[in-house]
Amino acid sequence: MRLLRMSKQAIRSMAENKTRTFLMMLGVIIGVATLTVITSAVLGARAEVMGKVEKWGIDQISVMAGAGRKPGVPQTIPTTLRIEDAQAMLSEIENIKDVSPQINRRDFPVKHGGNSTYGVLVAANPNWSSVWNTKPETGRFLSEEDTGRLARVAVIGKTVQKDLFEDEDPVGKQILVGNNPFEVIGVLEARGTSPTGLDLDTRVVIPLSTGQKRVFNQDYLFTIKTVLHDSSTMGQTVDDVRALLRERHNLQTGVEDDFTIVTPTQVMAIASKLSTIFSVFLILITGISLTVGGIVIANIMFIAVNERREEIGIRRAVGARKGDILIQFLMEAVSVATTGGFIGIIAGFLGLKALAGFIKLPTALMWESTVLALFSAIIVGLLAGIQPAKKAASLNPIEALR
Amino acid sequence: MIEVSHISKTFQKDTVEVQVLQDISVTIQEGEFVSIMAPSGMGKSTLLNILGCLDKSTEGTYVLDGVPVHDMDDDELSRIRNEKIGFVFQSFHLLPRMTAWENVTLPLVYSDTNSNMKARAVQVLESMGLADRVDHLPRELSGGQQQRVAIARALINNPRIILADEPTGNLDSSSGEEVIRIFRQLHAGGVTLVVVTHDMDVALQADRTIQMKDGRIASDVARARQSAEVAT
Repeated sequence: MRLLRMSKQAIRSMAENKTRTFLMMLGVIIGVATLTVITSAVLGARAEVMGKVEKWGIDQISVMAGAGRKPGVPQTIPTTLRIEDAQAMLSEIENIKDVSPQINRRDFPVKHGGNSTYGVLVAANPNWSSVWNTKPETGRFLSEEDTGRLARVAVIGKTVQKDLFEDEDPVGKQILVGNNPFEVIGVLEARGTSPTGLDLDTRVVIPLSTGQKRVFNQDYLFTIKTVLHDSSTMGQTVDDVRALLRERHNLQTGVEDDFTIVTPTQVMAIASKLSTIFSVFLILITGISLTVGGIVIANIMFIAVNERREEIGIRRAVGARKGDILIQFLMEAVSVATTGGFIGIIAGFLGLKALAGFIKLPTALMWESTVLALFSAIIVGLLAGIQPAKKAASLNPIEALR
Repeated sequence: MIEVSHISKTFQKDTVEVQVLQDISVTIQEGEFVSIMAPSGMGKSTLLNILGCLDKSTEGTYVLDGVPVHDMDDDELSRIRNEKIGFVFQSFHLLPRMTAWENVTLPLVYSDTNSNMKARAVQVLESMGLADRVDHLPRELSGGQQQRVAIARALINNPRIILADEPTGNLDSSSGEEVIRIFRQLHAGGVTLVVVTHDMDVALQADRTIQMKDGRIASDVARARQSAEVAT
């Protein structure tokens, strides 16, 4: 009851000086608003990445030619990864269900009539469709026959279709892949963006044999995508693959791998690394603005304690204990900070809405971030209020009333 | 009611020790109306602060209402001030942003009461003749009205003792007379009153006048006019 009455007094004195109160809140508002935006965005982005990785396949690993490769980063590629390696992996490692040997190249020019675009050229076998879990939406996918006769046929992604054919049906039409004419035999279903930021619908899939002989003129591979029977023993399988390939490539102990094995966990890590760097930076900003907000509150509270000496003296004279004065000023600081926190959350929410217009961000306000933001505001209020409140409580009432 | 014996108070001013009160012993009975007179700066406010449990003596004992308060800690003294003592100051000391009734309820904020604070405040303000000033801010009131709000605040918790420090010092003569009239009413109602003043007219209204000089009691004179006053 007594505490309730005292909190009323604290809120009153906050309302009595609106400009000052707003200035006190400003730092907290900015800090909490950024905190709300960041945590919502990061949590949302993470959820999105997880969703994509699941779609990409958590039971899959990729072997990429070259050491220390990261998905999506181009570099000189050794010629040691062979189609025989893929066959050996399938026959010798029990947990491997299927393999898709591939040659991929980004930014490959594709033309039709007057339209041109750049796609990801993928030379692969007919089982690519099941390994990547991507079916043709119209037309058909590559067949064994296409591979056998080195057919110039291509299955294209949605984006390529749109860029080259607009609304026209592309099946049966000719396209130029580099300088080679190919017949479009199918259009792949839409897959969106990969966890690493690649537009999967820009893919142009041709038979591996055709790619090796007619386009890339190379007999080595860039990638072997692998589907496992049991993803729970993925670690063991990765070790098996590494041992097998090292043996097949005659790598002595101590020599670095000439290939890289990428697992979904790694892809997740890479995908979230960027958002982590981003969020660390912004959390730093949040920390700074909350600290500044706290310092502002502390300073204005100190001034207020000086200006309100008479009030403190009066309250002490009519029976307020030191602890009552301490609590009153502490509650004032905390209510200022908490109110700032609420306003900050609203500002952050509006900020998220506004941001959503520019970049692809989840606009949902996460309750975790709201709780975190309010909690930080209360902590800031407590930390900022404690010294001024102590000073107020320790004022000699006689001096204060003089 | 009030028993102080051999009280001394020294202040440390820079490197010099200033003795403000020297060996003061005084007993005030319940229901007495006492005025304390002294030239300014002669320790009368310090004595009043000690009597009001706002300050502590350096030496000596103080028994208030049968309870020794000289060795109480700060929280216990705050409770005594809240429950047993009402202060009236020369410069009123009202909170400027609070209305009259809110100012009056201030002691209740720190008490254990759960009653309707506003109703009680309005009642006391009415008894001070301020029924139509309940929702006014201090700056909207005259000096005399402000001092009556302050007296209402001192009375809200039904204290045993009212301590007033130059209560008429900032008032014109008619407002001052009004305040004294209220004090005599309270006195008639059985409240113990101690008024510090250097105004002889005010001092003479009390039943007993203590004169101080150089931190000591110079004279202590009782007047037998209380009964006559009450009878009229």
